Amino acid sequence: MPRPLLGVVLCVVVGGFVAGCAKGEAKPSTAPTPPTPWVSRTVPEGRGDIKTLPDGKRQPVRYPGWTTEDFGRFRTYAYDDTRPEVPVAKAPMPAIAGDPKRGRSLFLDRNVGPCTGCHLIQGSDVWPAGNVGPDLSTYGDRNLPAEHTFNVIYDPRHLFPHSIMPPWGSSGVLKPEDIVQIVAFLGTQKGPVPPEKDPERDPTTRAKPVGFGDNLDPTNNPAVLRAEGADLLWSKQGPSGKACADCHASGPLQAMKGVATRYPQFVAKYGRVLSIEDFLSVHTPETTGAVLLEGSADNLDLAMRVKMASNEMPLSLDLTRAENRAALERGKASFYKSVGQRDHACADCHTVENGRGADKFLGGRLLANVERGLTRHFPTWRTSQGDVWDMRKRMQWCMTPLGVNMLAADAVEYAELELYLTSFDQGKPMSVPGIRH
Amino acid sequence: MAEIGRVRIRIPSSIKAGEIVRARVLVIHPMEIVQRKDGKPVDKNYQFINRVVVTYQDKEIAQFETTQSISENPFFTFAFKATEPGVLRVTFLDTHGGKYEGTADIKFS
Repeated sequence: MPRPLLGVVLCVVVGGFVAGCAKGEAKPSTAPTPPTPWVSRTVPEGRGDIKTLPDGKRQPVRYPGWTTEDFGRFRTYAYDDTRPEVPVAKAPMPAIAGDPKRGRSLFLDRNVGPCTGCHLIQGSDVWPAGNVGPDLSTYGDRNLPAEHTFNVIYDPRHLFPHSIMPPWGSSGVLKPEDIVQIVAFLGTQKGPVPPEKDPERDPTTRAKPVGFGDNLDPTNNPAVLRAEGADLLWSKQGPSGKACADCHASGPLQAMKGVATRYPQFVAKYGRVLSIEDFLSVHTPETTGAVLLEGSADNLDLAMRVKMASNEMPLSLDLTRAENRAALERGKASFYKSVGQRDHACADCHTVENGRGADKFLGGRLLANVERGLTRHFPTWRTSQGDVWDMRKRMQWCMTPLGVNMLAADAVEYAELELYLTSFDQGKPMSVPGIRH
Repeated sequence: MAEIGRVRIRIPSSIKAGEIVRARVLVIHPMEIVQRKDGKPVDKNYQFINRVVVTYQDKEIAQFETTQSISENPFFTFAFKATEPGVLRVTFLDTHGGKYEGTADIKFS
């Protein structure tokens, strides 16, 4: 598609230098070239596009198998999204009788919470329950007024300003009538709790996952073979007749040694923070002419190979550089920004302070703790998906349970968030590709 | 994918004499599957591994006959008793006459 010409002076640009202008000034400029505006180069399903259906409904375009629910009315991570978070609200408790049985099925309903993702209740069919929130197995013994319980579920922020529980009523996930049913059910949760038969059911006694063994062993991690396949891409000529190997002598493991330890970082040419994946998506078309869309198999494989060249080397981001520091601060702000239908921030699940969720179970999943570093093994093989995911797809995946429309995989918001996350990996050895659930 | 025929053998880092050892062997191979044209299988000499031979101290200890139903870049695992130090050799033979070999030194510690 031809880009609209904004300037009035037509210039011939060769290799970034202004070679000749219609005005007649042939002197090469010493001023720094303005950054090239960023155009998303992501696979179509990773762009966060929204399509309009024939009936006028908006339907987000997402990866195959992901929900297509539109969360457009909730705020996102986009920097230009200035909408507030879900406003704190209160509603009168409807004067209807609650049915504990109906309440229990709502409590377990995966389409609503499920509440069991964070709270343990009685019953061997509750599996796997989480322990991010308090154990509610004996909640009924506390004899709290029904209205209090109703208010906490509707919007806990009235009573507990720092609660990480989503405002189920204010965000519209649960109708007041539904909450009455849940309140009635919680009233039935009374002791004594029958002895636990299965230690796996209770998140406090459940065994913590131990991982999947050596992530760099090709007989153990299929991603290693995929990454090795990128050596062919490295020496493959693109449409411009050039290959990576033409400029970067020798194979990626030698040529790219240590490079990935500095990423994500601010790249002046593009005026923004780039990860290895972002960089490949823009640098390859400019040099070899090959299209390497973010999220594509080739981009992933090459990114893994480039990062493998830094394996065992410590992450060494340049955090003294002003641009990186500013981006890191913005990334940190995103990390603590409450977004979406669930009014969650990354910090709610991935930090430990103030009783937050890190190192606890959300359903059957152990929530990772940002302080241990979450990025130095990405792109990683996901045993649950049978595929390699980069950090961005992992972030986009997080958007769905948060009830947020995802941004493009190469959005600067994600890049700066990734920089903030990677800052926790500083000094720790890289180990790519990883292998995780 | 990486180059065809590259064999990698993984054995435990420390082995004791007389121990039962599990070896994991990976070979890079396309393992062509049956192609179909108008619903009928195309008749041609498909390239796939049809025999795997394992020798230990130059003595054959196992042989596998394999078919096209095995995946691309197949990965085999088997156990054997490490009686004496020596070479474990795994040979893959395919229908196009290809012979791919990998070895691992069995040493005791």
